[in-house]
Amino acid sequence: MQPTKDSFYVALRDRLAAVDPSRTVTLDGATRPAIAVIENEPPSGAPLLCDAFYLQWGNARPAIPALGNLMQMDCSISYCTKGSTQNGSLDRGRDLASLDSDLLSICSPAQTAKNDYCSGTPVPLGSSLFWTQPVLNTAKSVPPYVGRDITITVFFYPEVNQS
Amino acid sequence: MADQLGIIAGRSCSAVRFADAMLQTLGGVQVTLRLSDPSSGDTSSQLGLEAPTAEDLSVSPAAVKMLEPVKDGNRRMEIVVSGTALRVAAKNYGIEDISAWLLSMQGVVTNGGVWRIATVIVDKVCGADCLYHLTATE
Repeated sequence: MQPTKDSFYVALRDRLAAVDPSRTVTLDGATRPAIAVIENEPPSGAPLLCDAFYLQWGNARPAIPALGNLMQMDCSISYCTKGSTQNGSLDRGRDLASLDSDLLSICSPAQTAKNDYCSGTPVPLGSSLFWTQPVLNTAKSVPPYVGRDITITVFFYPEVNQS
Repeated sequence: MADQLGIIAGRSCSAVRFADAMLQTLGGVQVTLRLSDPSSGDTSSQLGLEAPTAEDLSVSPAAVKMLEPVKDGNRRMEIVVSGTALRVAAKNYGIEDISAWLLSMQGVVTNGGVWRIATVIVDKVCGADCLYHLTATE
């Protein structure tokens, strides 16, 4: 299961770096593409940053019970923005649209190869994972913030020798 | 009369000194904050494979008060830290936003454990940050 989580994150991160190189964020003193997995970050009381994608893993279950061992796991992706102070946050809708556009870009194609990253370097596991296209539901608006929580379902075959 | 005189220059100093004197009166204890060193930013650190190095920072004067546990039974405490001491420490690290800095720390070292800093409230008097109230949870 862990290779699925890691491969999905790395695929989206690398695509974000290619699609929108300027969308970066500084986390723990390091500047990186503006995407992070919450469970991989230090547990601090600091609020989540604007203009960044945060992944959080949810339920995992058999995709079709009693038919093979294909698994599915939910991944919620949260992001928000408050626009720019120069524009009095009036451009927050445009910034949200830009985030939406980046999200749709990095989620396509909806598949990637599965690698094991436990050693720090990717080791191909010989299978792929694939996922549903994101559905952009109603934006949450808590002035001055506007953002979305979307859920993607990731399908994968569990590695029997993996944790 | 006060309006005619305007703000007395340096009056914030008296508030800061009063706050520090109050903390000294309450015991003037020293608290240890644990802060993470900057991440390497590589894939291993992003995947949670690389534990961040950390260093401890001792700050005084401070006062510690145990609070009622949260609903799940975890203990929590309030730590009141001198704004003067924190400003000196923050300056050494080139930090401007002390509240955000505190929230990004690993937590408060206590009895060998590290309690996470959940909230930070600043007492600002006459424009000076006098006291920082940290709520730390187990």
